[in-house]
Amino acid sequence: MNQVTVGIVDYGMGNHASVIHSLRNIGFRVRVSDVPEVLDATDILVLPGVGAFPAAMQALHQRGLVNYLQQQAREQRPIIGLCLGMQLLTSASHEFQYTVGLDIIPGEVVPLTGAKWHIGWNTLECVNTDPLLQPSDGQAFYFNHSFCYQGPNEYQVGLSRHPGPFAAVIRHGNSVGTQFHPEKSQVAGRALLKNIILGLTHA
Amino acid sequence: MLKKRLIGVVTVKNGWAVQSFGYGRYLPLGKPECLVENLDRWGADEILVQVIDRSAKKLGPDFGLLAQLGAIGLETPLIYAGGIRSVEDGVRLVQSGADRIVLDALLHEDLRPVRGLSEQLGAQALIASIPLAFQGAKLEWLDYRTRTSSPLAEDVLGLIQSGVISEVLITDWQHEGMPGGFEQKLVEHFPFKDVPIIAFGGISEHEQMRKLMQSTRIAAVAVGNFLSYREHAIQEYKEVLTGMPLRLATYESTYSLIADV
Repeated sequence: MNQVTVGIVDYGMGNHASVIHSLRNIGFRVRVSDVPEVLDATDILVLPGVGAFPAAMQALHQRGLVNYLQQQAREQRPIIGLCLGMQLLTSASHEFQYTVGLDIIPGEVVPLTGAKWHIGWNTLECVNTDPLLQPSDGQAFYFNHSFCYQGPNEYQVGLSRHPGPFAAVIRHGNSVGTQFHPEKSQVAGRALLKNIILGLTHA
Repeated sequence: MLKKRLIGVVTVKNGWAVQSFGYGRYLPLGKPECLVENLDRWGADEILVQVIDRSAKKLGPDFGLLAQLGAIGLETPLIYAGGIRSVEDGVRLVQSGADRIVLDALLHEDLRPVRGLSEQLGAQALIASIPLAFQGAKLEWLDYRTRTSSPLAEDVLGLIQSGVISEVLITDWQHEGMPGGFEQKLVEHFPFKDVPIIAFGGISEHEQMRKLMQSTRIAAVAVGNFLSYREHAIQEYKEVLTGMPLRLATYESTYSLIADV
């Protein structure tokens, strides 16, 4: 486990301290960079994110990271998106305006239905037998969002309810996104990150 | 199902964590980062750090404190309050590690930055701080900087109703620090039934918490002074409140209890 190096994709939005701390606490090495050569030297990429979708995509474009991330996904390099980072993995978002995403996981980001926002700890329900997620079935994680994923069921591997079901975890090949913040979800978040990272890097 | 939250509050004045009584008397507790670290370890659902002298002294947010807290590497969502003057302040706070921010003085001064913050950060990142008390049968809203009260302003109520802000922190400021002091009628008399409320100020007793959490209007209960009297206070409250729609108490140790053989 100690051999795994995680590359945090730094596109200038949000604070990475909690993600770095969580990953190091598990026992992973961490590099934070927007330089492809530096990220190339890591085993798995983590795309964190706080803020609005259009500004985040613009920041990725400005740093030349859109093509890079898409290429990494095509090469089946493991990628994890956290919260806004998960939404960036999708085809597009309707937040403020229609904005094209990384299109790594088919589907779009739309406003939550039945509630204006979803803030707090909610339970994760695994909807298939994805071994990366099974140990976290029934655990509570911290959410803070008002938009959510809408796309084919085959990519929705974990659900939460508020009040209706919505995608809490999506996956396409070696790309995984969590709508919640595992780095802010204490013991449950750390266990989930560990399982996903080890599962993807040792597959 | 979305859980109700138990929020640990750390009040900071002149750089020190303090116990606060009725918005007017303070007793020192120690370094804020030590208290925050405890709440993180004890499994608080969120941590609210409120720096109460920043707006009154026009100092702006305490970015230095946020940097210190960032160095801890918190695994608990962090809410920051104190000195926020502009959209730039709020955005920088989130970039510095705050997950959400609380607005108080701005609600009295200028609502335009509040709308701007909502556009930049999303309403889910914004909480309105509304310290309330009854004057006779009417609700009065305190401006803590001048210690004057007035009826809730129509434009502020409109802002809350429009969804620019996601939650309202109702503080029973007169009973802050008084065991069991929180007056639940403040919540019941608050004009909007569908705005999630965080209750704070004089919440210490188990039965009081249970009653508050049974209210559909209350999304979270915040506790400050009463967490400082004993170790693992968060876990203890959660154990007693088992059966409520609250995340279970969590326990962890850095060290394995099972020796490698």
